[in-house]
Amino acid sequence: MSGADAAVVFDVQRFSIHDGPGIRTVVFFKGCALACRWCQNPESRRAQPELAYHADRCLPGCRLCVSVCPEGAILDRMNERVRWDACTHCGACVDTCPSDALVMVGEQWTVERLLDAVLADRHFYEASGGGVTLSGGEPVLASDFLSAFLPRAKQAGLHLTLETSGHYPFALLEPLLPELDLILFDVKAGGRERHLDLVGHDNHQVLANLERLLARDSGPELELRMPVVPGLNDGDASLDQLCATLRGLGVERLTLLPYNHLWEAKLARLDTKQTALGISPPAKDYYRALEQRFAARGVTGLAPG
Amino acid sequence: MQTVKMGPAPSAAVANHGIPASGIPALPRLERLREAILAAPYGLCTQKAELMTEAMRVEAPQSRLAKHLAPLHFDALRKALEDNLASGAPVERWQLQMSKRLQELWLRLDQRAQTQPLVVSFAKALAHTLARAELQIHADELLVGNPTRHRVGAALHPDYGGMLLMPELDRLDARAVNPMRTTPGQRWRLEHEVFPFWFSRSVMARGPLFAADLELPNKLTEGRRFVLTQFAGISHVTPDFPRVLELGFVGIREQLREARRDARSDEQAAFYEAGEIVASAVIEFGARWSRRCADEARRLEPSDPARAAELRELAQILARVPAHPARSFHEALQSVISTWVAVHQESFQHGVSFGRVDQYLWPYYERDLAAGRIDRARAVELLGCVLAKASEQLPLFNQMATEFFSGLSSASGLTLGGTTNHGATGADASNELTSLWLLAYDRMRLRQPNLHLRLHERSPRALRELAFEIIGRGGGQPALFNEAQIIPALRELGVSDEDARNFSIVGCVEWGVPYSSFPAAGAGFISLPAVLDEVLREPTLRSHVALSSLMATIWSAFCERLAETVCEAVAGNDAIERAHAQCRPTPLLSILVDGCIEAGRDVTQAGARYDSTGIQGVGLADVADSLAAIEELVVEQGRLSLAELMRAVDLDFRGHDQLRSRLVEKVPKYGQDHGRPERWAAEVARAYAEELRRHRNPRGGPYAPGFWSMTTHVGFGARLGALPSGRAAGRPLANGVSPTNGADSRGPTASLLAVTGVGGAHVSNGLALNESLDPQLAGGPTGAALVDALTRGYFAAGGMQVQYNVIDVNELIDAKRYPDRHRGLVVRISGYSAYFNDLTPTMKDELIARASHGRPGAQVSTEGAL
Repeated sequence: MSGADAAVVFDVQRFSIHDGPGIRTVVFFKGCALACRWCQNPESRRAQPELAYHADRCLPGCRLCVSVCPEGAILDRMNERVRWDACTHCGACVDTCPSDALVMVGEQWTVERLLDAVLADRHFYEASGGGVTLSGGEPVLASDFLSAFLPRAKQAGLHLTLETSGHYPFALLEPLLPELDLILFDVKAGGRERHLDLVGHDNHQVLANLERLLARDSGPELELRMPVVPGLNDGDASLDQLCATLRGLGVERLTLLPYNHLWEAKLARLDTKQTALGISPPAKDYYRALEQRFAARGVTGLAPG
Repeated sequence: MQTVKMGPAPSAAVANHGIPASGIPALPRLERLREAILAAPYGLCTQKAELMTEAMRVEAPQSRLAKHLAPLHFDALRKALEDNLASGAPVERWQLQMSKRLQELWLRLDQRAQTQPLVVSFAKALAHTLARAELQIHADELLVGNPTRHRVGAALHPDYGGMLLMPELDRLDARAVNPMRTTPGQRWRLEHEVFPFWFSRSVMARGPLFAADLELPNKLTEGRRFVLTQFAGISHVTPDFPRVLELGFVGIREQLREARRDARSDEQAAFYEAGEIVASAVIEFGARWSRRCADEARRLEPSDPARAAELRELAQILARVPAHPARSFHEALQSVISTWVAVHQESFQHGVSFGRVDQYLWPYYERDLAAGRIDRARAVELLGCVLAKASEQLPLFNQMATEFFSGLSSASGLTLGGTTNHGATGADASNELTSLWLLAYDRMRLRQPNLHLRLHERSPRALRELAFEIIGRGGGQPALFNEAQIIPALRELGVSDEDARNFSIVGCVEWGVPYSSFPAAGAGFISLPAVLDEVLREPTLRSHVALSSLMATIWSAFCERLAETVCEAVAGNDAIERAHAQCRPTPLLSILVDGCIEAGRDVTQAGARYDSTGIQGVGLADVADSLAAIEELVVEQGRLSLAELMRAVDLDFRGHDQLRSRLVEKVPKYGQDHGRPERWAAEVARAYAEELRRHRNPRGGPYAPGFWSMTTHVGFGARLGALPSGRAAGRPLANGVSPTNGADSRGPTASLLAVTGVGGAHVSNGLALNESLDPQLAGGPTGAALVDALTRGYFAAGGMQVQYNVIDVNELIDAKRYPDRHRGLVVRISGYSAYFNDLTPTMKDELIARASHGRPGAQVSTEGAL
């Protein structure tokens, strides 16, 4: 669990160029209250560090891990290595694995360590107008940690971006606002019922938080983004409801994030209930048409490219 | 797909000094020139070898005794060379002893038979060569000159190391990599006339006479611990082209005549006499070319009056230069090319560079532009002709050299941009020509010359935009150099501030003082992992059990062995350089390097104002990764003992898959910016630099450490067993200062930062960082801005040099299978670019591996890295 001293971070990705301006380092925090059916990072959902198994990296004939599991959850099968129902994610097998087939996703990071890690690329941020992006999972759930981290990062002159789902009590977000430069705020679907169906919660809290953010006349820049999932959140009814809500809030534009299905390859590695959607990448002109459908509803939706 | 076929019209981005890249129209002449060069088969040129031999038979005849006895020695040596090179077996000690005694005898006899100073003999031989060299004018070219007798050819230099090719002469036509056309007549003349004359007088033959170590010849062909190159020639120099433009060879000859009047010794007088002979020879060479162009113009007048007019103009230009000062841009360029070609009839073709071409050519261009005699399109056309000329020349490598120096680079460097070295410190020096050179390169996209761009904090934005857009289109040019780091490194070597600020790149990546230095920048390469390998073979070290002192013990043993290896390589190189000084003066090059005329001494005899010798440390990353692995697995984790680890290494990890996997997958590598391997790399680099800097060369100059490899990392790797880093036996080492292939998995910022720790003021002979980027990331205006930012960040963090290979890995894979479909695909190798098709199969595979690093491009980071 994240506290003020440490948070569970599962990746610190340098040289990212699609998550805010310039060259950035993206910090992925573990833990999220939503359960989006298309979640790109299924390994981010659990708040605690968890075991993952990459069958493709497993060394044939190795078997070093089989005997070390205190729960007997490691099977002597390359294709089905872990009995997830017995695994406690203790990580005892990870050190014995010589090929990084068994890995822990997420570990505790202190403020100092994270600062060091993100400051490594400061010359590249300066040269490109970049900085650090907090992502996840839902980073705001690590609010206590971020309350300690962000002022230090700000002091070091870093441009700070938050990627967020918006689903949490506003009190968690509020103390972070003075330090942030940009918030990339996800809206997932229009309509309460649809939202509940697709992401596991209705959109009440998300919209309330968005409204409060929009009401502020100072603080970080706000950019709305919608992860497009063809067939799930791009129907006429969803768009109608979403655009009506946005117009009601005075929002005129949002960024459309094109769908990619790379996350489905991760499922087999994880202890997760998320299932593949089998959605193939849409045809070339799909996003242009989608932009027009947004325009027809009074909102500027912009897909990259 | 990032092809380098005739580049598409550049985007509408505004280039430096208001030149829209798209403002230069299509230049069909350059397209035709490019096609002609790409279509030309490679040929072996023996013109210099034959003409020089013909002349030297008269000018420096063999004694009668030598004439009778030498053939027996020649046959024995030839057999030894064939056996030795074919099997890689060392020559027996008694044979070496015998050969050395005989060589000493020939030397004494030769000296006794001399009728004039050797430098004068060589001057007359060059004059003979220039007076008889065939003159070919190719279609469309606006500048003439033939580095060799072939459109694209490689000259054989019997006076240096040309004889090494003897065992392979018959196979040259048919060899799998880099075949060269030869004729039976050529081969016969080489075997019966040329080699029998030179086998006892070449630098290669005489080097061992100056070496205390009898085994030197064996060490040169072993290629395991170090390679020394200068028996093949020194070159690696930037002749004083500005002085040629300003004075012409008539003016230079005048300087020599004046100096000769005050000569204080016979040696000086001989040097000046030789200088005058070669200056006159170059003047006459220009006049011959002028007549040749005029004749050709007359011949073409009826059928092609337009071309005839061009040739008449060339005839006029050549009637003027290089004899006299240049007056126009066209004259200046022809003068540079004529001089460059003449130098190559004397010195071997490696690293004879052009210097700061946008600086010394600027007044000529500016004047023509102001007078309305030239426009930008015409200027690009002329510069394109220079670039085409520079690509007509190949080096001649035997099979072993092809492994160590794959890609056929003769490494002529051309330096652009930067700051001025006079007046206000650090004023930007770039001008319209800087951009025009880049635009001309973008049209030509041939494997040569090497374009080098000096960058500083105030380099104009438009110039950067243009450079990075061109980089984004592939081909690996221009390479980028950070002034803020390089100038202090040169001052540290003893160069004055003003000269350091005037640096240009000699050859691949070697920073040096142009026009007045003899930097011998490519003299040798030392395999650092081979040093570590020897240390780790010591049984006493392997059984060292006290973990607390293990790393310190390994480190001190490494430093000790490193010192011995450096001493050995330096001693070998010293012997070769002494052989140059005594046996092969180069009077033409010498009158073109500032300092020699004042001193009355040849460049090989310390005539230049600055003297140094560059030797490179290769395989930095492999040593760093190996030390880091021992420290982590043996010392910190106590997972196994050093003896156990080394047993697995000895077995090339056979039966130790788990250990090898842990080493490769789980131990951090240099390039991932974890800290430990980077600290080791920095320590190894400093230790190497310190060790090399202890030595001075026979010319009294410092030995200058560099960290670039060409493809020696492949040759060294093939001769080395497994390493504790997990690298398998025989695999290539890491190139330049780059991480091992695949270890750049944490993206470019991490690998760029890792490298900054290696650099600093101790790197006086250049370093090469090859960074492969995906075209999707680096292409187009967005890509250009991104790579620009990446470079600025890297330089701000202390980076010295980088070159980007923007390549699509799938294209490389396809090019390996279907070479014919990818003619003209240019890729960056080390400090130079090459046609992919010219590379050895191993090197092709390595480029494919480099381009498929764990993380091909920037991440779409809504995706975690699971």
